Amino acid sequence: MNIGKTLFGAALLLLTASPAMAAEKVYVYNWTEYIPQAVIDDFTKETGIEVVYTTYDSNETMYAKVKLAQQEGYDVVVPSTYFVSKMSREGLLQGLDHSQLPNARGLDAKMLDKPFDRGNVYSVPFMWGSTGIGVNAKEIDPATVTSWKDLWNPAYKGKVLLQDDLREVFHMALKLQGRSSNTTDPKEIEAAYGLLKELMPNVLLFNSDSPRLPYLAGEVSIGMIWNGEAWMAAEENEDIRYIYPKEGANLWVDSFVIPKSARNVKNGHAFINYMLKAEVAAQCVAQNGYATTVLAALPLLDEKVRTSPTIFPPPETVAAGEFQLDVGDALATYQRYWELLRAGN
Amino acid sequence: MESKTRPAVIGLVALWLVVFGVLPILLLLGASVLTQDPAHFVRLPLSLDAYRQLLEPAYLQVMLRSLKLALITVALCLLVGYPFAWFTARLPAGWKTTILVLLMIPFWTNSLVRTYAIRTLLGTQGLLNKALLALGVIDAPLQLIYTDLAVVLGLFYLMLPFMILPLYANLDKFDYRLVEAGRDLGAGFARIFVKIVWPLSLPGVFAGCILVFVPTMGLFYVATLLGGARQLLVGNLIQQQFLNARNWPAGSATSVVLILLMALMLAAYRLLLRRAATARGPQ
Amino acid sequence: MKGLRLLFFCGVFCYLYLPIVILVGNAFNLNRYGLRWDGFTGKWFVAMWNNPGLMEAARHSLVIAFAAASLATAIGALAAIAFTRYRFPGRRLLQGTMMTLMMAPDIILAIALLVLFVALGIALGFWSLLLAHITFCLPFAVVTIAARLEGFDPHLLDAARDLGASEGRLLWRVVLPLLRPALISSWLLSFTLSLDDVIVSSFVTGPAYDVLPLKIFSMVKVGVKPEVNALATIMVGLSLILVILSQLFHKEKNTP
Repeated sequence: MNIGKTLFGAALLLLTASPAMAAEKVYVYNWTEYIPQAVIDDFTKETGIEVVYTTYDSNETMYAKVKLAQQEGYDVVVPSTYFVSKMSREGLLQGLDHSQLPNARGLDAKMLDKPFDRGNVYSVPFMWGSTGIGVNAKEIDPATVTSWKDLWNPAYKGKVLLQDDLREVFHMALKLQGRSSNTTDPKEIEAAYGLLKELMPNVLLFNSDSPRLPYLAGEVSIGMIWNGEAWMAAEENEDIRYIYPKEGANLWVDSFVIPKSARNVKNGHAFINYMLKAEVAAQCVAQNGYATTVLAALPLLDEKVRTSPTIFPPPETVAAGEFQLDVGDALATYQRYWELLRAGN
Repeated sequence: MESKTRPAVIGLVALWLVVFGVLPILLLLGASVLTQDPAHFVRLPLSLDAYRQLLEPAYLQVMLRSLKLALITVALCLLVGYPFAWFTARLPAGWKTTILVLLMIPFWTNSLVRTYAIRTLLGTQGLLNKALLALGVIDAPLQLIYTDLAVVLGLFYLMLPFMILPLYANLDKFDYRLVEAGRDLGAGFARIFVKIVWPLSLPGVFAGCILVFVPTMGLFYVATLLGGARQLLVGNLIQQQFLNARNWPAGSATSVVLILLMALMLAAYRLLLRRAATARGPQ
Repeated sequence: MKGLRLLFFCGVFCYLYLPIVILVGNAFNLNRYGLRWDGFTGKWFVAMWNNPGLMEAARHSLVIAFAAASLATAIGALAAIAFTRYRFPGRRLLQGTMMTLMMAPDIILAIALLVLFVALGIALGFWSLLLAHITFCLPFAVVTIAARLEGFDPHLLDAARDLGASEGRLLWRVVLPLLRPALISSWLLSFTLSLDDVIVSSFVTGPAYDVLPLKIFSMVKVGVKPEVNALATIMVGLSLILVILSQLFHKEKNTP
């Protein structure tokens, strides 16, 4: 029976040997592929705070998880745009202590004091970007693609990628029908669902973890993509192009917030503050291809990055685009049609 | 001098099974007939909306699709598992153990990791496509991943041992003299199989089918990693309803349907066993 | 016929082992995407070791598997004793509950337990995860141990009782030592089941306690990760060791 004892002893050793050094930690819940690993490593090196990093692929998933984790929760979460107001209204967030966020001074004023968080009580904007059309130039001539409508082209059967995100997908259809992407009218949502249903034969997959990968693998040739993902894709293969649809791209800002259930509030602030450092923000832009709110980071960027229309859209594109707003109880209506769309194809 | 050991043992076991076995299922049933609540998870009033919603064409379609994928998986497992179990049962004892251990080794390896391995095999730039391209069999990569085929191959890979083991347990007890007797009477291979081997192995077949069928519909991560927009299993639906849409009544109702399906199959299985027993009974 | 049989076995085992062989091969492949063989390297193992999130999740998984296997085996032994030795009202009902737990698809168990934890106000994290893992390991432990108990020689226990041993003493001094091989098999099986679980864990754990399968899931959803290959290789090695161990104990059980 010595084997049994040895095994037991070995296991015990392994368990007790696991570092009980009670290192300082910060639990960060973020979008997939949003912050370079190197930045996180540097943060730990500089502050000694270990980052426990987990990721999500849609606001709804993040929101469901935060709702479930109301006792031992995350310390930093990165909801998009209106999810900030939704979460603060439901008492899920705590007010930020701006004295612990010196780097938050001098952020892009265009992204501050937004309707979803007047006075930035709960949130600090970090990156902003758009959802537009991705095209593989090897398969499809990018010059022929100008509108969301082009995704409906029957020639692209089984070649289209959509984000796994309901508001983004409905944005596209609502825009094509000349509606606001923030509509709360059930009739308009239903009509958009009808249009999206016609698109489904073209759709190969839903992916908002890392939409660039199916483009790079040649599995899809056209579809929705975030500007940052398109930027990263083009770094690897310049045939992957990013196009702003003429109906207007979907715009969003992702903000740092600290949930009420956070246990390491101080470390959470330290993490947010670190991410707003000019050099760090610049590194994030260069790597992930989203526009930063940290104006001090702009001069640090390469010419190529700073002038890329994919990352920093021209003002008229921004003006044509639409930011997502909270749709209140209509979200349930969206969710219902979204499920129908995903299920019934 | 009745000691306290006995009631303590029974009490502990009963407590555990009631709290973690009976209670959760009751709560699930309860949640399925409540109303969705955006702030909390569920609230009164009682309602059958969740079940009504399941009857809508779109949801029925997911159910049917999931059923289809699960049935194909079961059929494939049976097609491969039956001869496998039969051949193994006919081997000498030492070989039997070797074959069964070889079968179990992948089974002891993390199933998620194995699903991921299948993905690297079937991807557009995966090994299979590379090999076929290099051999000149095809001149453009095949779309294997994000298809029904990929999902079925993945499910088959994970579930095969669950089909083989009960089949093997059954066929190992099979009296081979029956086959010899049949042969002596001039019956051909097909006739012997249909008339003797198959009927006697039915309990094993059925047990294997149940063990494969029901869990298959819950394996959402296989569909996530290998399937595309169209490959949704019931498990994906439940996961979506709990961890994304936060519609607990709908998710609970979907699970209740799965539980009913399982109960139905178990009842059919018992019926089959009883029939087999009475058929063999009077001798 | 012999040739056909050999061919069949080869085909099936090829399908079962090929993906694993590729994984293990890629763990040592210099080419990041495993698209072709670029030479031998151990750097993915280093990368894995240096990935704090992955290592912490691995540690969590081992702790949970160890604790769940131990507790499931302990409670399982008691349950097996209760079911095989004692007659009491509600026995069949409890046995039925256990069988249902065993047959129920993981997803059902997962959400049922999630609903339970939320209803009871238990925070999602270490404790919820541990309770859930014990619950789904338990039926397998009971079945393994009960099988051994049923094979006991009842005279042995009668003799002990005649000598005046109390029930507690009887269990501790006579039954438990005889059960040892079954307890070890049950522990190993539970340990593997716990390490393998994706579905239940993805519902019942919280931010504070990430486990390995969930970490791997979120990593492989975004493409090929060589660190995962390295980790998978280690896990394949670990499961090989477990299989060999369980075979050893199995032998011991058959030849007392």
